[in-house]
Amino acid sequence: MKNGPTRREFGSGLALAGAMALGLRPAMAEIKEVRVAMIAPLSGLWARQGQLMRLGADMALEEINEKGGIKALGGAKMTVVVADAGDSTEKAKNAAQRVLAQNEDLVGGTGAWLSSFTLAVTEVTERAQLPWLTLSYSDLITNRGFKYIFQTSPTADRQAAETVPAALELAEKATGKRPKTVGILMDNTASPVSFAKPLREGGLEKLGLKLVVDQIFTPPLSDATPLIEKVRTTRPDFLLLPISIMPDNKLVLEKFDEFGLGKGRLPLVGNGAPLGSPELKKVIGPELLEGLLFSVADWPFKGQEELIERFKKRTGEPWMTQDSLTAYGDMWIFKEALEGAGAVDRAKVAEAIRAMNLTDGPAKSVFPGPIKFDDKGRREDVPLIFAQWQKGEPVTVFPIDLAFAKPYWLSS
Amino acid sequence: MRVINFAQGDFLMLSMYVAFYLTTGYGILAFLGPYAGPIIAAFLAGPVVFAVGWVAHRFIVSRVTGVGAAASEGAGAYGQIIVTLGLSLILQNGGLILLGSTPTGIRTPLSRSSWEIGPILLNQARVVSFLVAVALVIAVYLFLGRTRAGKGLRAAADNSTAATYMGIDVDRAHRVAWSLGVGITAVAGGLLASSQSFQPYVGFDFVIVMYAGVVLGGLGSILGAFWGGLLIGIVQQMSTLVLPYQLQNTAIFVVFLLIVFLRPLGLFGKLSERT
Amino acid sequence: MKISTARQGWAILAVAVLVLLLSLLIRSAYYQLVLTQLLLWAVLSLAWNILCGYSGYFSFGHAAFWGLGAYTVALGMIHFDLTPWLGIPLAAIVGGLAGAVIGFPTFRLRGHYFALAMLAYPLATLYVFQWLGYQEISLPMKREAPVLYMQFADPRAYVVLALGLLVAALVVSLRVENSRFGKALLAIKQNEPAAEAAGIDTWRWKMRAITLSGALAGMAGGLYAVLLLVVTPESVFGMLVSAQPLILALFGGIGSLWGPLIGAVVLVPLAEGLNGELGDVLPGIQGVVYGAAIIAIILCAPEGVYWRLRDRFAKPRVEPRTTAKPAPALTIAPEARKVSGADLLVLRNIGISFGGLRALDSIDLVVGAGSLHGIIGPNGAGKTTLFNVVNGFLTPDAGSVSFAGAPLAGLRPNQVCRRGIGRTFQVVRAFPRMTVLENVIVGAFVGARDDIAAEQMARVALDRVGLADRAAAVAGGLTTRELRLMELARALAPQPRLILLDETLAGLGHDDLAGILGVIRQVRDEGVTVLIIEHTMQAMVQLVDEFSVLDHGRLIAAGRPDEIVRDRRVIEAYLGRRWMDRVADTVA
Repeated sequence: MKNGPTRREFGSGLALAGAMALGLRPAMAEIKEVRVAMIAPLSGLWARQGQLMRLGADMALEEINEKGGIKALGGAKMTVVVADAGDSTEKAKNAAQRVLAQNEDLVGGTGAWLSSFTLAVTEVTERAQLPWLTLSYSDLITNRGFKYIFQTSPTADRQAAETVPAALELAEKATGKRPKTVGILMDNTASPVSFAKPLREGGLEKLGLKLVVDQIFTPPLSDATPLIEKVRTTRPDFLLLPISIMPDNKLVLEKFDEFGLGKGRLPLVGNGAPLGSPELKKVIGPELLEGLLFSVADWPFKGQEELIERFKKRTGEPWMTQDSLTAYGDMWIFKEALEGAGAVDRAKVAEAIRAMNLTDGPAKSVFPGPIKFDDKGRREDVPLIFAQWQKGEPVTVFPIDLAFAKPYWLSS
Repeated sequence: MRVINFAQGDFLMLSMYVAFYLTTGYGILAFLGPYAGPIIAAFLAGPVVFAVGWVAHRFIVSRVTGVGAAASEGAGAYGQIIVTLGLSLILQNGGLILLGSTPTGIRTPLSRSSWEIGPILLNQARVVSFLVAVALVIAVYLFLGRTRAGKGLRAAADNSTAATYMGIDVDRAHRVAWSLGVGITAVAGGLLASSQSFQPYVGFDFVIVMYAGVVLGGLGSILGAFWGGLLIGIVQQMSTLVLPYQLQNTAIFVVFLLIVFLRPLGLFGKLSERT
Repeated sequence: MKISTARQGWAILAVAVLVLLLSLLIRSAYYQLVLTQLLLWAVLSLAWNILCGYSGYFSFGHAAFWGLGAYTVALGMIHFDLTPWLGIPLAAIVGGLAGAVIGFPTFRLRGHYFALAMLAYPLATLYVFQWLGYQEISLPMKREAPVLYMQFADPRAYVVLALGLLVAALVVSLRVENSRFGKALLAIKQNEPAAEAAGIDTWRWKMRAITLSGALAGMAGGLYAVLLLVVTPESVFGMLVSAQPLILALFGGIGSLWGPLIGAVVLVPLAEGLNGELGDVLPGIQGVVYGAAIIAIILCAPEGVYWRLRDRFAKPRVEPRTTAKPAPALTIAPEARKVSGADLLVLRNIGISFGGLRALDSIDLVVGAGSLHGIIGPNGAGKTTLFNVVNGFLTPDAGSVSFAGAPLAGLRPNQVCRRGIGRTFQVVRAFPRMTVLENVIVGAFVGARDDIAAEQMARVALDRVGLADRAAAVAGGLTTRELRLMELARALAPQPRLILLDETLAGLGHDDLAGILGVIRQVRDEGVTVLIIEHTMQAMVQLVDEFSVLDHGRLIAAGRPDEIVRDRRVIEAYLGRRWMDRVADTVA
């Protein structure tokens, strides 16, 4: 999206002056356009994720504007200013600063996918008092005492606290037995680290689970053999798999199969959206993925059928993923906030988001649970979504009222 | 040849995509099936990338290396670093534009099956890669040591002035050496394409280990490069027995540094400074 | 053309003022940010340049210092509530220490090995920090006392801070460049063994350079942490961070004061501008354009923009042919007069092996004070090896070397030089852009108290070899003869008692030869003992008082020239019958 605010403002300023000169009383200056920012990695290692976010946001904007734009602002159209966060925190910060400097009328923004990028970006946006939405899981993001950051996903440690009991329940219901031993296999990026930390520090014990194998690797993984070897020798009842990068998932899952642990012999419970990516299916095939259960902040759930179909037709993607879905939702949240604020004013928009308690409407329909942020900017008490690969597609299986299918537990 | 090629990993990336398009993408080799297809594709990726390397050398790299640059300060070491870094950027980002950001890979049952030898499981895809690698190294070794052309390459690398007097077209020899280097890497990349998924920026992950391997083995020595690479691979895997998995690569570097301090020219190094 | 220190100083001031003005005029916080980053990367590049540009020891690992500096400030603030005002100087100390610790073992390596070993340090550290749990840390926002914690609302403040670092780095570079420090580093780049033999304690200078370099880099990294507020292992230890100062310096002009800044001024805004304009339009195109741009420019200016411009626009030199500054009176050590007879250099039973090859075996050699002694022998006989043993580059496994009665065992080459032994080298590598005088001054450092005395001694030496009228000439334009004389002057500058000449006459035509022979004789007449290796038999025979003949590491003959040329063994090994007949006429 190109930006030339000065020219536009100049033009409308002239018109206003002209009108005043003619003795006409100026009505409230008409706002044609409202801008929000999206900072996402569009080049570099995570380019795919940024692209997915953009797809979701673009679709949302099209719908919002078709339906009449921001009514409280006289039907102003909503547009997004996209900036490339690149592949480093420096580039992400520069993108944030650039976008702010070149678009003084920004009312909010979303991004930047990778938690360290989000951290860097929000240092800038906080000081500019620009309300910011993010899907990043890391708890550090909302632990800094910032007032203008709103995290739509539950933090990783909260996700951990929910994922394991849910998995245990599922196992018990399906097999009659409650698992006693568990293993963890993860990479050392921020989200898995904050996911696993509370579990190691007593979380698993409290649930009556013994941690028999605990392997952390530095991405990128070159060979999963030593890791899987250890899993094979210790044979936990199930394995927690918070791995945030798709290529590593491929190596791990294929190695399981190779070692005879695939296709259901070892129940896998993951965390994070990369476990549901279409490229994973393309790269290792549906048989190895069957039954893989994972928890995410957001995944297409019941009630969104029409939205999902529209997305698939529009983009050609086989299904909607968390990145596109939340980006779509973020745009709608801003729409609601703008309607509530009634002005192109950052502080008012931020106020509107803080005061939000959406229990229905298009914004709410995207996210599980109500859209309500606490004083830290977190959404408390929202259900975690579980998806499971069934017949070659990851579908939501939990909570039951949001599920597309019934979950099952892999058993040998 | 005294050239450090920072774009080596990106030529690898290129070869992975070539292999991919030959098998899965355009299905040219689909008739060979999922076992032989990827292997043949890997071999075919070699000449393709050889050609790309040839062009790159002809128009860009040769301007800052070899005979022409030997006279300038630092024997042209500076220019080639920037040039190959620039090449790397172009390959990575050009790859993003042309090939897209979605990670892809070649699906073959080889990557997830293994042969059982007693309690040890050997991954089939990697065993195949290993065998091919060994065969290639032997072939290169024989080429450089026994054939006339190969000896010409070594002469040109050793002392370009003397080689010129001997009637060797040093410029061309350098070009062949360079292209051969990337071509061999390409075969490796083609094989790797079946083991792991990749995207245009994957080259980066390999450069470091590549260099550790070569320097460890001793710059200027082919045998050294082979043993060096082997040693790095072994250390990487063995270190997981005693160290946390996350420090695998640190272990490589520590071993690398230890060896290089004990044998400052590498295990088989021949490069030395004339007084 | 040497730009005076004062002028460079004014230039630095001018740059500082310019940056401040720019910062005042620019409204956009974004441009201020880019300007700050430009300055910081320039500082890192200058730090890199101090070690690598001047000494030739390429480092691919400066991210280690930058990253340690960044983490020092960040962790200091998070765990100890340490303000960056103290944290950044602390980061400098950490960086300097890291430099020393890393340099200590790594300087054993040379060339590519050094560069790639340096690459290992930041990468190994990266993994360690990830393992320690510092995947991403952010500097806490201090709303109550922002200035105390370097958290300014106005981005100009950061520009000023970065500018401060830049000025410091430029001043340090300037001091280094124009002092003995810089000359020593340049000498190391040009020919490290020669520098060592000229009395330069190469190890000490290299260690100083890396410590200084590390300190500056660490400091800059600390400010980077303050600027970005988020520190991750990849962003401060990654390979791209190590590559950046290298690219900037190479692009701008390596080994020059202004090169790194020029590189930063061009490349940092270029990259960021491309990101900004094209990044969201066609992701990836910015990388392609940037890559193509740096390739294009380096093809036009392989040593960097600065040198290219200087070579292009430097005023053509008018060389003063006559009347150079009158050289001060030559003081000749009274005890080193002509043929005093005392044994000055004594080698007893020297032996050394390389692997399975016995390079020298049972060498006995006595060189009398004031004599002119020649060493000849076929290629590979071990002549240069012998010199290397005397100089201290090689340690013999048998025998002893003594000079003026004192043993030389265990001394490093620069210490041997200090005892009074000078040496020339076969391959003369001069600094092409520096004057003859500047090239020779390098040799004078070892004996001089300060830079002024060094210059005096250099002028004396130039006078002795008859090159005084070319003192201000640029070395790149010298003839072979003049180069040899310059090399000789360099070896003579510290006024040694013994001088080792390694093939000084090789490749000279007849007239040039006669001239140099005259100089060598003159040097000996002034009281310097000369030990010379040569191939040109005809010249040697006219020059030396006595010979030693080496073949396959053994001394096969020793004595006066007329005896040697008749010695059967020598003829067999080296000369050939036909030559003997010819020379019989010239030697009486």
